Amino acid sequence: MRLWVRYFRYAFANISNNRLVHVVSTGTITITLLLFSAFVLFFANIDNWVLEWGQSLSMSVYLKQGVDEKAKQKIKSVLVGIPGAKLERFVSKEQAMEELKETLGSQAGLLDGLNTNPLPASFEVAFGAPERAGIDIEKIKKKLENMPGVDEVQYSEQWLKRFEGLVSMLRIAGLVVGGLLCVAVLFIITNTIRLAIYSRRDEIEIFKLVGATDWFVKVPFLIEGSLQGVLGAVIALGVLFSTYSLLSSKTIQVFGLPLLHLVFLPKGHVIFIISLGLVLGLMASFIAIGRFFKLFYY
Amino acid sequence: MIQLFHVTKRFGANVALQDISLRIRRGEFVFISGPSGAGKTTLLRLMFGAERPSEGQILIDGINLNRIRRVKLDMLRRRIGFVFQDFKLLNRKTVFQNVALASEVLGERQSITRKKAHQILRAVGLSSKEQAYPLQLSGGEQQRVAIARAMINNPLILFADEPTGNLDPEITKEIMILFRSINLRGTTVVIATHSRDLLENTDQRIVTLNRGQIVS
Ligand SMILES: Nc1ncnc2c1ncn2[C@@H]1O[C@H](COP(=O)(O)OP(=O)(O)OP(=O)(O)O)[C@@H](O)[C@H]1O
Ligand SMILES: [Mg+2]
Repeated sequence: MRLWVRYFRYAFANISNNRLVHVVSTGTITITLLLFSAFVLFFANIDNWVLEWGQSLSMSVYLKQGVDEKAKQKIKSVLVGIPGAKLERFVSKEQAMEELKETLGSQAGLLDGLNTNPLPASFEVAFGAPERAGIDIEKIKKKLENMPGVDEVQYSEQWLKRFEGLVSMLRIAGLVVGGLLCVAVLFIITNTIRLAIYSRRDEIEIFKLVGATDWFVKVPFLIEGSLQGVLGAVIALGVLFSTYSLLSSKTIQVFGLPLLHLVFLPKGHVIFIISLGLVLGLMASFIAIGRFFKLFYY
Repeated sequence: MIQLFHVTKRFGANVALQDISLRIRRGEFVFISGPSGAGKTTLLRLMFGAERPSEGQILIDGINLNRIRRVKLDMLRRRIGFVFQDFKLLNRKTVFQNVALASEVLGERQSITRKKAHQILRAVGLSSKEQAYPLQLSGGEQQRVAIARAMINNPLILFADEPTGNLDPEITKEIMILFRSINLRGTTVVIATHSRDLLENTDQRIVTLNRGQIVS
């Protein structure tokens, strides 16, 4: 405990004694992490975009038993009026039973025992891509379920065939490029920190000469590296967010299609990038100082 | 306390020390003398484990420096004070912090460290310069900071490389008295010097080096 207080004191004294070096290191970390998080943001948006544009939606509106023709026509006109919606067909109770029998095949005999038909009639509605983008399906569902004669609304999303491959390819590419970027960032930060440590080799030598253990010398450097990493990440995210706010206030067009909205990184990604800064700073200073010790002492 | 067996140190083709065998007992006070380039600094650095011998064995307090592990060497150094010829002070830390450092690395309590640092700085006559930085001091003052740092932990052994090189006769005398008193409290003291004055009025043991060999 006493030792940790001392480590932090050393670390902060070092930072204030070597301000310029720390500004340079933190700046490097900031720039590399900014590139990295810009890349992540780009992918998050592509992902979101594909999600919005690459999925079609089908919705079934189940009617209550014994609903009258007037209510049915009312529901139908509302459905037709939803922008982007295409009314595929009306499935009557009888049709529903037929289809169920077909699905059951040889086991259809199970249904023979029924006196009445328990299946509801329904409308089937489809939203194609790209109309599906910008539709708040939950809101539509709520609205419909409040209408007289509507029993329940169910919907399901399907990937368009041509998008399926694209999405998984994008995700793999994202992981690969992201991983490579991480390695590059680690490499750059390690070298920056190594330069910073090299400029203070006299200090390390003197610590060792008065009998400091390796850890006693290393820990303040590790603390400094971690702080730089976190600070760099926070600044990078700040810059990224400002840029994002500027951009998203304008309408962006991608391939001539209006991109309905840009998204910023979800909270999980933000936490991830800050932790990444911490881990990279820690690892970089650990590697840098480890090599340094190997070079200069036996 | 200190034993050297047939120690040779080469820097490339340059032989700095040749076949040195030497034994220094616990509590002894020894001068290593000899002209510039004789190998005095090299000998002290070998005994401190800052340099490895090319040949031969060195035992410090029964520990063979050739086989010592790093952590053990750190522990050993905590019990050895070393006044470097070039002082090796941290220019970004104050005089007080420089001296306190040697106590801090032991994990010593802050209050004890402060007390010891004040005490030893008073002993070397630098109380008024505690908050100064090394580069604001004269050569002689820097030397005394180095001496204070070497003595703060009451070391088992004190190595001093030319510790009075920058001091006037008055302060030299005071510093020598300081070395004597620490020696009387049990510390083995080894001082490298080429100063005749220092050696003239002494009844202490003198080991004389010349061109890397012991000549007397
Ligand atoms: N790191 C080194 N690399 C190469 N040669 C060295 C090194 N250190 C010392 N030497 C050589 O070893 C010899 C002895 O040097 P050393 O510093 O031990 O002499 P010294 O007796 O302390 O001299 P001085 O009184 O001038 O301090 C010299 O010839 C020197 O050039
Ligand atoms: Mg010398």
